[in-house]
Amino acid sequence: MSSEPLLRVENLKTQFFTEAGTVRAVDGISFEVYEGEIVGLVGESGAGKSVASMSLLRLVERPGEIVAGEVTYKGETLFGLEDGPNGDLRKRDEMLSNEEIRTRIRGNEIAVIFQDPMESLNPVFTVGGQLREFIELNRGLSEDEARREAIDMLREVGIPDPEQRYEEYPHQFSGGMRQRVLIAMALACEPSLIIADEPTTALDVTVEGQILDLVDDLQKKYGTSFIWVTHDLGVVAEICDRVNVMYLGEIVEQAPVDELFYDTKHPYTQALLESMPRPDRTVADLEPIEGVMPEAINPPSGCRFHPRCPDARAVCKRVHPEPKVVADADGEPHRAACVKHDVFDVGYDESPPLEGAVDGEGSRRTDEPQSELAANPAGDEPGGDGGE
Amino acid sequence: MKLLKYTIYRLLQAIPVLIGISVITFLLANLGPGDPVSLMLQGQEHSEELVRSIEQRYGLDRPLHERYLTYMAGLLEGDLGQSIHYQRPVADLILDRIGPTLLLVLSAYAFALATAIPLGIVAANRRNEPTDHASRIAALVGVSTPSFWIGIVLILIFAVKLGWLPSSGLIYPWRPPSSYPGISGHLELYYESIRHLLLPMIALGTLQMATIMRVERTQMIESLQGEYVKLARAYGVPERTILRKHAFQVAQLPIITIVGLNLSTALGGAVLVETVFNINGMGQLFVEAIQQNDYQLVMGVTMLLGVLFVVGVIITDISYAYVDPRVTYGERE
Amino acid sequence: MAVGESQLESGTDTVADEDDVEARVGWRYTVARIKQDTTARWGLYIVAAVLSIAVYAVVDSNLSLLTFGLLSDFTFARLLPIFDHPTYIPPPGEGTQHMPPYFPLAEQSWNPLPAGGTLEHPLGTDHTGRDYFTRIVYGTQVSVFVGLVSTFIGLAGGTVIGAVAGYYGGRVDDVLMRLVETVYAIPPLILIIVFTVFIGGANIWYAVIGVGVAFIPVFARIIRSRVLSVREMDYIEAARAAGVRDRNIIMRHVVPNSFAPVLVYATLQIGVTILIVAGLSFLGYGAQPPTPDWGQMLNISHGYMHSNVWLSIWPGLAIMITIMGFNLFGDGLQDALDPRIDD
Repeated sequence: MSSEPLLRVENLKTQFFTEAGTVRAVDGISFEVYEGEIVGLVGESGAGKSVASMSLLRLVERPGEIVAGEVTYKGETLFGLEDGPNGDLRKRDEMLSNEEIRTRIRGNEIAVIFQDPMESLNPVFTVGGQLREFIELNRGLSEDEARREAIDMLREVGIPDPEQRYEEYPHQFSGGMRQRVLIAMALACEPSLIIADEPTTALDVTVEGQILDLVDDLQKKYGTSFIWVTHDLGVVAEICDRVNVMYLGEIVEQAPVDELFYDTKHPYTQALLESMPRPDRTVADLEPIEGVMPEAINPPSGCRFHPRCPDARAVCKRVHPEPKVVADADGEPHRAACVKHDVFDVGYDESPPLEGAVDGEGSRRTDEPQSELAANPAGDEPGGDGGE
Repeated sequence: MKLLKYTIYRLLQAIPVLIGISVITFLLANLGPGDPVSLMLQGQEHSEELVRSIEQRYGLDRPLHERYLTYMAGLLEGDLGQSIHYQRPVADLILDRIGPTLLLVLSAYAFALATAIPLGIVAANRRNEPTDHASRIAALVGVSTPSFWIGIVLILIFAVKLGWLPSSGLIYPWRPPSSYPGISGHLELYYESIRHLLLPMIALGTLQMATIMRVERTQMIESLQGEYVKLARAYGVPERTILRKHAFQVAQLPIITIVGLNLSTALGGAVLVETVFNINGMGQLFVEAIQQNDYQLVMGVTMLLGVLFVVGVIITDISYAYVDPRVTYGERE
Repeated sequence: MAVGESQLESGTDTVADEDDVEARVGWRYTVARIKQDTTARWGLYIVAAVLSIAVYAVVDSNLSLLTFGLLSDFTFARLLPIFDHPTYIPPPGEGTQHMPPYFPLAEQSWNPLPAGGTLEHPLGTDHTGRDYFTRIVYGTQVSVFVGLVSTFIGLAGGTVIGAVAGYYGGRVDDVLMRLVETVYAIPPLILIIVFTVFIGGANIWYAVIGVGVAFIPVFARIIRSRVLSVREMDYIEAARAAGVRDRNIIMRHVVPNSFAPVLVYATLQIGVTILIVAGLSFLGYGAQPPTPDWGQMLNISHGYMHSNVWLSIWPGLAIMITIMGFNLFGDGLQDALDPRIDD
């Protein structure tokens, strides 16, 4: 990987100030996106993935607000705070203004593909018209040029009869076709980075496969970087280069995709993998994660995953782990935020197991050898191209 | 082509309703205890023969269903019967009076739309801010206040107290200036016409304004939360364009329907407002017909108001189908 | 594949979620939301105030609710002794209506129609010298009575027609809905006037029935659409399969399940009804003199616009506040029952 990342996120925090209290939706995450790679952002619903991705474009809606951190894109500060003269935080001078973000970044540098293709297109405008508008706006083309570009793009994403489809309305398109339109929209603006927010979740499996193949091809062709937000590790295995696993607003594990699957370092990632349906297991074999993710309004003390963690010990209740490098994969760091790794050195091994947090089944699970997992990490996928 | 088919379909659908309106008005006007003959004689001494001859002349001696069929046959030829009180064809009377009512109702709608839509948008955009609260209170007052009382208060303030605007009558811009004393040119005619129209227009339009504003606000709030608005924001579309184009277009669709359905309250309100402002329109004609027990005229006016409503709804339905690409013709309720 | 789905198997939490949903639509939740909602609370206050005034006016009078006769000595004055009961003041002499316009009247040194502001007549007297305040208070009766009764008639009629049409569907539905559409097509005020005058002669009872009938269509439509959606539910199918009679299914299952939106609508409809009846009375086809009724008072005061403007103000304000109360309450109820749009 090249030395300077395209996008660098450091200690980003986004909070929602509701009547019930402050929701710490994104609580200090850091990651990088390099040119030409697809970075996964994985986690359960409510983990803060979408909020995190929207924070990058400063598109968080009220009552949400980015309260800390720094987002640097191609050397420009999309968001950054510094200490003011009175000790309060204030926006840094080099941080782009709202207007600059809107005209220079949104669309033409960083584009977005949303989850719900049925709702994302405006029902009263033609598909072509919407495409053309965004192209005109972000590439400064004339109406005619933008139209030609739009039709080319529709063809590129595999929409048959693009000239005719250009004039049609969203309701005349199927879900998969609409998602293709949204992909065309993102690519047509020629951004360097595309944030794909669960773009295949609303689609059925066959269409999902087609879309993933399409994105894979187009990504190779255009060299665009992607942040791929999903809750589906199968999708991650299929297209991502590097993965960030999020739990309750924090990144708990960060590794190249093969590393993550073959040498899982965080119990949460482990649990996610075990709850995934796979051809070699029946439904009865699946190991659902115990309990539900707590509210981000009042997260558990210590490690936030400890109430559901099969490996939790007393120390986990106390110590809040920051992600640390726990292994090295061909020069790339493998980070995890779990105190059971030696680098944390907080006395995990001596700490007694937590009583009542996990039932017998849970503890049995930890005793099982993990080789079975490693044999076939990504369900129907043959486990990426690299291997260990 | 599709649209034409849809139009014809809607018109055909309206036929049973129109027949229904004629039956209901006919029954109401003819079943009542009020006896048109004695009314016509105005308490004069009268013989049995005279009564019978009048009954014969107006066909009142025949059975009800025969009378209805005769009436319907006349309707198809555009003959709404003869007004007993005015001794003139009902159709003529209606033609005389329909202009002012249409002028009043249409201008009230123009006033309502021109004020309600911007206010609704502003309220939605500044949700829960003082502007929003103020316009919501205004809308609440608007839907809670009788149009005729608004008319009275407007007269009290602008005509009686301030003396700025006339309190009664209308000046019809389609008549030549010479037909009004003291008005010389066309410009003056239009000026006077607007001056006379202003108060009744506001009186009749306030309810419409309030209803439309409420719908506009809700629709805009919903529309502004739409995924397509998020998408437009993410692609750097200016907030102004989002408000005026992306969110706006979607939010206007229900307004079209509301305008059509509200025609019913607007036409009813016209009766009251015409009374308050002494405007010689359909409403006044209706009130006179009721007072005179002129059942032929009552039937005619009621029929016509019903038809106006049905036509209005059809027109709005068609424009909806025209504006909203999602409508599949012929399947809408 | 989804992690979220796998959680559903863990049981207990799902059940908790369902409880939560039930709590959200239940009555207790609704009441709680009404208490929270400023709009609904104010609406409730106004409605309660208007209702108690109306009830008070019924109790404190030797008139029955049904006759609306002349005001007697048993009036407001008895419980609130600071206000003298209405006394007769001779009607103003000739030419009152030709007097120059003035505003407000209180500045006038001569005073043919007391403008109010005195303890005796806080709102002045009408053209025959009757205390205006008392008449406004009594006007509450008519408005509230008409509003409630005719809304009830519309609701009852609409429920029957809508439920039958929606439940049976097919030809029954077609015929009933065409009928409903027909009635709906004639502007209510026009329909009510024709009905009142030609069938009954101007009389408040016929007005009440007329208004009720004129609003059957709106209720029938709502009930029908609710029934159409409820009809497809599994438990209705089950009841039908178990041989429960149609009428029982409609009354026991379908109607109660359609009730919430109808309740909201009925509350808002009371306001519309009062509005219509005021117009009806203003034209002279509602409550007849000497019954005190706001619309009718405006009709009379219209002729005295130049001598005492306040006579035209008070009844209108009373109408406005009353309707506003019902509208506020209805809006609040709507928010409480349908949390889709949060404010």
